[in-house]
Amino acid sequence: MTDREDRLRSLLDKVRAKRPGERETHAAEAVDRMRAGSGTVQAATQARPLSEPPTSPQVESPTRYSSQPPRVERPLSVEPRARSAQPPSPPAAPPSQSQRPASIRAQSVAPTGQPVVYATDQPEFPRPKTFGELLELTLSLRPR
Amino acid sequence: MHDGRFDPGGFYEFNLTGGMIRTRNGERVVVLSEDVLSSLVAAAARDGDLTPLRRLGELLGEQVLASLDRPASVLSAEAVLGHVSAVTSLFGWGRLAFERWGCALVVALRDKPELDEDELGAAALLGGMFSEISQRQVSCVPTGDSKFVMVDFEVAETVWGWFKDGADLPAIVGMLESKRAS
Repeated sequence: MTDREDRLRSLLDKVRAKRPGERETHAAEAVDRMRAGSGTVQAATQARPLSEPPTSPQVESPTRYSSQPPRVERPLSVEPRARSAQPPSPPAAPPSQSQRPASIRAQSVAPTGQPVVYATDQPEFPRPKTFGELLELTLSLRPR
Repeated sequence: MHDGRFDPGGFYEFNLTGGMIRTRNGERVVVLSEDVLSSLVAAAARDGDLTPLRRLGELLGEQVLASLDRPASVLSAEAVLGHVSAVTSLFGWGRLAFERWGCALVVALRDKPELDEDELGAAALLGGMFSEISQRQVSCVPTGDSKFVMVDFEVAETVWGWFKDGADLPAIVGMLESKRAS
């Protein structure tokens, strides 16, 4: 019995002392395989590693909050539904500039049948004064 | 007067048998030469009594009112001007136009008969006509270049004094300010 077999045996005894039963069988098999050939010991331990307590995940990239919108490399492909009925282009052909996704237009997102409501009122043009108003104005003139 | 424009058709009724000319409203009118009229106006101006010319202006104003389908005060200045200038032309008193100088309403009367040097005859005529049209006491004060500023009769004498002292129309307008309650 080599030193490695001795360490495994002692480890097996510890496990057997804690949880007798099923693990005993697996450990005995592992010892038997090691006896068959020392070269398979490492492979056997890697195939059935002992369960280790899960470690807390390391925070390598913290969540960053930014007021700027995320950068989009390519525009979202929002195409009219009618285009989907067209025959698809050959898959091997690379996308050309003319086949880039259509830009989003205002009418494409407006509900059908509802008018676009403007935030500001229509500009009011000054109403021309009537003759009576002009007369009132000129008759109100007095020396300074 | 359905379209708001003055209709000059049939304005005068010539009664050759009776030797009379009447307007379509029934007033009898007399055709005078410019020379005769200017002599009469000059004499009236010297006497300081231009009442007949003011009365003639009121008659013209009545013609204007008869041609309007609504009160002149609610109409646009352009609409009133169309009727006033038409009546003025039919009576041979020249071409009338409105001008606005700030708050002041100015009447320009081009190609009018040459009556008196100070244009007081035309001023009396215009004052009578616009008083009748507006149902207010209106004075049209001469300011030179055949233009008359329309003011309240209470300040007419003051404005006339400014003009006689050499003030032109821009200067006169600059010496006036509106006192209308807002």
